[in-house]
Amino acid sequence: MYLVRVNMTNRTYQVTEVPEKYKYLAGRALTSNIVADEVPPLAHPLGPNNKLIFSPGFVTGTSAPTAARISVGGKSPLTGGIKEANAGTSWGADLAVMQIRGLIIEGQPEEKDKFWGLHITWDGKPKVEFFDATAYTKQPLSKVYPPIYEKFGERVSVCSVGAAAEYGYCNSGVCFNDQSKRPSRYAGRGGLGAVMASKGVKFIVLDRQGAPGVEIADKALFEEGRKKMIDALRTHAITKPKGGLNSYGTAILINIMNEAGGLPTKNFSSGRFEEAPKIAGEAIFETNKVRKGKEIFNHACSPGCIIQCSNTVYAEDGSEITSCLEYESAWSLGANCGISNLDDLAMLNHLCNEYGLDTIETGTTLAVAMEAGVIPFGDSKAAINLVHEMGKGTPLGRILGSGTETTGRVYGITRVPTVKGQSIPAYEPRAVKGIGITYATSTMGADHTAGYTIAPEILGVMGKVDPLSPEGKAALSRAFQATTAFIDSSGHCLFIAFAILDIASGYQGMIEEINGVLGTNWTADDVVKFGAEVLKVERKFNEAAGITKAADRLPEFMKQEPLPPHNTVFDVPDEALDAVYAEL
Amino acid sequence: MNTITVDTWLYGELARFGGNPEERIFANRKVSLPEGSRLQDLLNILGMRTEERGITFINGQLSAMPGLQPDLDHPLHDGDRVAFFHLRSMWPFQYRHGVTMIQEMQKAIIETDQMGLHHAYSKDQPKE
Repeated sequence: MYLVRVNMTNRTYQVTEVPEKYKYLAGRALTSNIVADEVPPLAHPLGPNNKLIFSPGFVTGTSAPTAARISVGGKSPLTGGIKEANAGTSWGADLAVMQIRGLIIEGQPEEKDKFWGLHITWDGKPKVEFFDATAYTKQPLSKVYPPIYEKFGERVSVCSVGAAAEYGYCNSGVCFNDQSKRPSRYAGRGGLGAVMASKGVKFIVLDRQGAPGVEIADKALFEEGRKKMIDALRTHAITKPKGGLNSYGTAILINIMNEAGGLPTKNFSSGRFEEAPKIAGEAIFETNKVRKGKEIFNHACSPGCIIQCSNTVYAEDGSEITSCLEYESAWSLGANCGISNLDDLAMLNHLCNEYGLDTIETGTTLAVAMEAGVIPFGDSKAAINLVHEMGKGTPLGRILGSGTETTGRVYGITRVPTVKGQSIPAYEPRAVKGIGITYATSTMGADHTAGYTIAPEILGVMGKVDPLSPEGKAALSRAFQATTAFIDSSGHCLFIAFAILDIASGYQGMIEEINGVLGTNWTADDVVKFGAEVLKVERKFNEAAGITKAADRLPEFMKQEPLPPHNTVFDVPDEALDAVYAEL
Repeated sequence: MNTITVDTWLYGELARFGGNPEERIFANRKVSLPEGSRLQDLLNILGMRTEERGITFINGQLSAMPGLQPDLDHPLHDGDRVAFFHLRSMWPFQYRHGVTMIQEMQKAIIETDQMGLHHAYSKDQPKE
């Protein structure tokens, strides 16, 4: 396995074997360790000393199911701390097949207005060539992907950034192709798109032809684990074909969260949106059925996924508006902005993909702008115009592109839903208090993917604490965050957690797959230890960057403003929040 | 006898119990019941077997999950909002950890194995 180090100061590169220190790290574990080892914590995120690191997970690129995740890491311009964001895409699998465990982009070109593409091929080992990509800038991504495929061939995978990143926005993501060559799979959060653009990199094109594939130390063990994982995913109600995710996508959660009173509405002023059912997964599925004349089940975002949760939203004339409209995007751009016109909501999502914007941060920013009176809540056409302002780089667009916290500051708004500078996603902490603890204490800023629940028997806390007490919630959050850090390193999509939580053999299968690839003897206990080590590394970097435990708090308004309909505040004591990492 | 009105929300395929048998997105039906009615009485009037529902809320408080239905005897009051979800719905633990529940549900969850971390609670879980 290789580390490929690309220096954008002089457009040179080095290919080395993965050093011993990193041999048993991949995905988030590798990106976070390299950031911690090589990026000065006080470096400017868009300066020459930050680095952008790509790493596929342990089983990415193998025949393991639902395992084409690519982690992207660096110092975040949004939070000022360490960041890992990941996406499912053939790009991740291709990087792994080319035996690249880590791709490190460093340095910075002197010319500020010039952008480059990297074309990485296999020539006995990875080979990098550079091409001038300046002509592709400031355009919607759907306009620049087709000529790239034309130039390099249909089999390549493409990573890119949009105009938002070129402008240096803190809410810009790193974009990857989906299975239909759409620029639509995002490592969205934390502004890593701007870090990539700050290196003068517009594209990273991978051509895996001739590459040897992922080496597997114990093929029989890997195969055994893979089969267990497939069985678990195919039988679980949530992940199986025509199950919840395959039918309704992640937006299946809209109605649930709304009924629970935990769907943040109109900039977190209520937990219930009267028009929520119009933007929910059920509405998307049934609307598509009418418009296309048949039931449309969801598709895979990446090769080898058997959950297949990515939806497409079709217009009245049957043409495609966007793919994919996730729960968090439907919430942020919909309920949180008071928008219930499904077609306009889909268009907002599409425009975020076109300009390279994080849909969550964009929706929460629009809602703060609505609260400030820039446009009214619920005005979907005006919201579309504001996203165009971001895409064009107008002064207002640049303010909005700086994210929710900056926009709140510019307009003097106090109800600003952020933690460590990153906006709170689609689950209201005043209604769902457990996730509030994870939002507050995650190394990533508010992050709904930081604390997934997996097999309780290995968490080490069951039976010892009351899960409803503040201490119990803190202990569970710690265990969830650690196990999530492991899955984020495995290469599997986090959604395998749904199946392996309920089906113990699936959980065992994940460990066997990884042991099969690496030739290790990791056990269930090692999963938590591995994840905890990742969190320690991230936490240490953040502390050195000035993000201390004082930042492990939810915004003040959540402790003071009761949230309808339950009229509750976030009342988990600070001591419980501090306890999450005190015992790590 | 006095009657009460329950604001009933039916989602996905359960929307067919809302009056229009073709509806599959959602239905909102105001259901009149005699005073003193319980959740089971509401199900009877809707014509819905309790096995067809999964996640259920009474006034935004979780009252049932697939395989765990401690709410059948829960008394209903005038103006209550009750929401029923189909069995393909999901609500992962991390996104419901610490939400409000009716008392019967809180007790039932604590009595489950693993204190309610799972997605479904029937013996052969997960099951449709």
